[in-house]
Parts: sequence; C-alpha cells; structure tokens
Amino acid sequence: MFQKQIMMRRVLYALLPIALFSVWLYGPRVLLVLAVSLGGGILTEFLFEKKKGGKVSEAVLVTSTLFALSMPPAVPLWIVLVGIVFAVFMAKEVFGGFGRNIFNPAIAGRLFVYISFAGLLTASFYAPGNFGAAAGNLFGKVDALTSATPLAVMRDGGSEPLLNLLFGTRSGSIGESSVILILVAAIYLIATKTAQWRLMLSTVIGAVVPTAIFWFAGVPRALPPQALLAGSFLFITVFMSTDPVSAPKKPASQWYYGLLIGLVVAIIRTFSGSFPEGTSFALLFGNTFASLFDKIVNDLAKRKKEKAAAAKAAASAPAAGSASTQGAGK
Amino acid sequence: MSKSPALTILKENVWTNNPIFVQILGICSTLAVTNNMRNTFIMTMGVLLTTGFSSFTISAIKSLIPRKVRMIVQVLIISFYVIIIDILLRAYLPEVSRQLGPYVGLIITNCIIMGRAEGFAQANKPLISFWDGITSGIGYMLVLMALAVIREWLGFGSLFGLRIMPEGFTPWTIMIMAPSAFFLVALLLWFARNLQTAPAKTAGSPPPTGAQPAPGPAPAQAAPKKEQA
Repeated sequence: MFQKQIMMRRVLYALLPIALFSVWLYGPRVLLVLAVSLGGGILTEFLFEKKKGGKVSEAVLVTSTLFALSMPPAVPLWIVLVGIVFAVFMAKEVFGGFGRNIFNPAIAGRLFVYISFAGLLTASFYAPGNFGAAAGNLFGKVDALTSATPLAVMRDGGSEPLLNLLFGTRSGSIGESSVILILVAAIYLIATKTAQWRLMLSTVIGAVVPTAIFWFAGVPRALPPQALLAGSFLFITVFMSTDPVSAPKKPASQWYYGLLIGLVVAIIRTFSGSFPEGTSFALLFGNTFASLFDKIVNDLAKRKKEKAAAAKAAASAPAAGSASTQGAGK
Repeated sequence: MSKSPALTILKENVWTNNPIFVQILGICSTLAVTNNMRNTFIMTMGVLLTTGFSSFTISAIKSLIPRKVRMIVQVLIISFYVIIIDILLRAYLPEVSRQLGPYVGLIITNCIIMGRAEGFAQANKPLISFWDGITSGIGYMLVLMALAVIREWLGFGSLFGLRIMPEGFTPWTIMIMAPSAFFLVALLLWFARNLQTAPAKTAGSPPPTGAQPAPGPAPAQAAPKKEQA
C-alpha cells in the first residue's frame, strides 16, 4: 500500500527517539495524538490516491508524525484530526500529491489549527516529566495545570534554565523540546544525506544573527539569544526547512531560503504581539519564495553562461579568423 | 416562447454561467463579507437589486448613450442605485449598515454589475435585462450564502445569529478571517465545476451545458473576465 521512500523512512527513524522521549515527558497521551494524526493523514491520502490509482506515499507518515509532534501535549484529539486532514488535503493533495506541494503540509496544518483555535491550544501546554505524571494524571483533563512555555516566560522578562532548554524538560509542543535529541537527529540526517546541511545552517545563521543584533542593540521586547533553543525553532529547522519538496533545490537559493526563514523568525519573535512563536509562519513564508529563489538563481546562472559563451565565441572568432588567414597565407 | 428565454437565463446565471463559479467575478466581496449570514444576505440583496435595476435602466436608455462614453454613463447609473441602497440601509437597518461599512459603497465596484451591463443590457430589451440582472444577483447570492453558512457555522457556531452549536463548541477563528474564504471559495468552485462537468462526461451526449455559449447572453462570455481588483 505504501510507496517506498528511503529518505522518508530515515526521517522517521530520526523522529523515533524524539517521539519516545516525548512519551516520557508527557505520558502515553502522546501516542494517542500520534495515532490520530497518522490515521487521519493516511486515510486522507489513501482516499485521494485511490481515486487516482496511486499509492500512499511514506511522506505522509512523516507529515503526520511531524504534525503530531508539533502539537501541544494536551491538544484535544479532534483538533489533531482537523489539522492533519487539512494538512494532507489542502496543503498536499489539492496540489497534486507528493512532490507537488508548495507548502510544507505539516506546518500548514499546524498553522491552520493554531490560528483557528489559538486560545484553546495555548492553554494546552502542561509541565513535562515522568510520563506526564508531573501534570497530574495520565489521560484525564490537564487544563488546570497549564504551564507557560519558555518563550512566553522570556517574553515576560523571566528566564528558563539553560539546562532545561537543552534537555527538553520544559513545557512546549510535544516533540520540539529536546535540543540534544534534535541535534542527534540532525547529524544522522546529514550523515545519511537525507537532509541538506545548507538549509539547516543557513536557517540557524539567519536567526542567530538578527536575534543577537536585536538583543545587543537593546531593542525593546528583544528575546535573549538562548530563546532560539526554546519554542519550535530547532525542530522546524531540522525537520521542516529541509523538506525536500518545499525547499529550493539550488545550493545558492537554499542559502537565501534559510536566511530568509531565520530572519523572519527573529522579526516575528521580537515584534509580533499575538504570536510569540514565529517559526511556523517563517517557514511558510520561506516556502512561498522557494521556487522564486530557484528561478532567480537559475536565470542568473543561465545569463552568466550565455555571457561566458558569448565571450568565448567573441574570443574564439578572431582566433579562428587569424587561423584561417594563416591558412590562407600558407 | 416568451417564457423560455427567461428560464434559460435563470439557469444560465444561477448555474451554468454562475458569476462566481464560471465567470469568477465579484470575488472581492466574496472574500470580504461572507463571515456572517445576515450581512451577507443584505449585501447580496443590494448587489442583486443594483444589478437588476441598473441593467434595466442601461438597457432602456442604451440608444441614447454615445458608445464612447457608455462606460462612464453605466458607472453613473450603477452608483445612483448603490447610493439609494446605501441610504435605505442607513435609514432602516443602521446597525447592519455600520457593520458592512464601506462594502455597501463598494458594491459599485462589483464586476458582476458592470459585466451584466456590458454583456447583456447593452444588447437586450429592458425587461429581459432586468431579469438577467436579478438572476445574476441570485446566482451570486446563492454562492455567497453557501459560503456564509459554512463560515458562520464554524466561526461563530450560529446561523443568522441564532446559536445552533452546543455550549462547549470551540469556534474556528480562522473561518471569520478572510483567508478561510479563499480556500472555501476554491473548494466550492472545485465542487461546482465537478458537478457541472460530470454529467457531460458520463452521458457522453452533448447537453446544452458546458463550454459552448448559449444563444442568449453570449456576449457575457466576452464580458470583462478579469478578477475584481
């Protein structure tokens, strides 16, 4: 039933430890969220592909997993379902299925539910640790134990211990917290040539530089640089900005793309009032420009080539002329 | 004989040549006002009346209008009716008028009105032009109301301001915002076009629907097809 896609499988392997760790953080409810997301995603794609006579791509597994991991832990399951169906349907199948989507489906779905149910979702974070026991019970309602995410805390002038940020023992979306595991996954993805290192590096540079500038220039409301370890920035950088479908293909345009995403992250996080976390918006913004960057780079290369060819022709023409005169002279 | 062209026009304007599904006109207002059924209804009613009466007037005095300035005259006639509707709304439905704000005045920029004036009223008798304008308005209204049902239902949990969803319902904020109209109108368009082309495919016979322009408002197809700015 599935179309075999080695690259997508590797991404799944890379996501596995993160998912397991998040089960430890937030309890077995994570598995439920994952199951709903995977089920909804596969079913949506299956219904579409059945009509076209194609197979379900393994990419949908990645999309569903990423989507589930980017949800807050106490997210109502029906929201997960709405989001993943929107993601696969509106952001992927409508464009023609795997390989044709402009926007990263997981992020499109995430933003859809985040904008739709903003209040509900921002109240769905709870304190991590010990299989979700820190938040009280395993399956029940945890609304009462809402805890502020590090970004919100930093926004209000507080700070989060750096170690908590590194180990991921801080509240946040299900899979975004463990910096160490995400870095391990990044190394694995780069080593197996599944993800493009250029995209990750340029996105990080693009975010670090302006964030540092804002912070050290004393811009009001600027977040400290370690804020980049909070929120979903690293998670999205490693797993979503490297999406082979929605990212640009040329090396040069990949640099522009990453820098643009990073810059937008820094700008939204610093200046936006209602959305302290801007990485998803930044990624969609970058997606919009991905093919444009590719085209610009392509055109520039072509023009250069033409120029070089013209120069070469101009250079070779007199040479040929002199050769012929020489020949004639002989 | 006198009844059949009216019926054809009705069918044309409501379904096979629907201003939104087929001509893609009036998209601007489709995106702007459809998050609330009452406002949508009043707004589309305004468009319907304006289209009908301006088509009627333009058709009635078309022989008096010099061809070179006909567009200006048409706009004048349309704006006349729009102003009347605006004044009526302000007098009798001040609250709705305030909520709709500039959109009532912007009815004048609705391409459907200009499209019908140019495409139909210029070449037809007043009464049938009036009917054509009204039916175009109905086609427009039906699509917008369909959109408004979805948007108000999910966005507010109500229809015509009456709460129909249970207390615990979580409103879908995005449905109130303009972006949702973009993909909803696209989905609706997709669905409608599928329905329009499906019988032609399965039956294999050439039904009167589809690509070829029907005899009546043929010029409508040549009418400005560009999207509302």
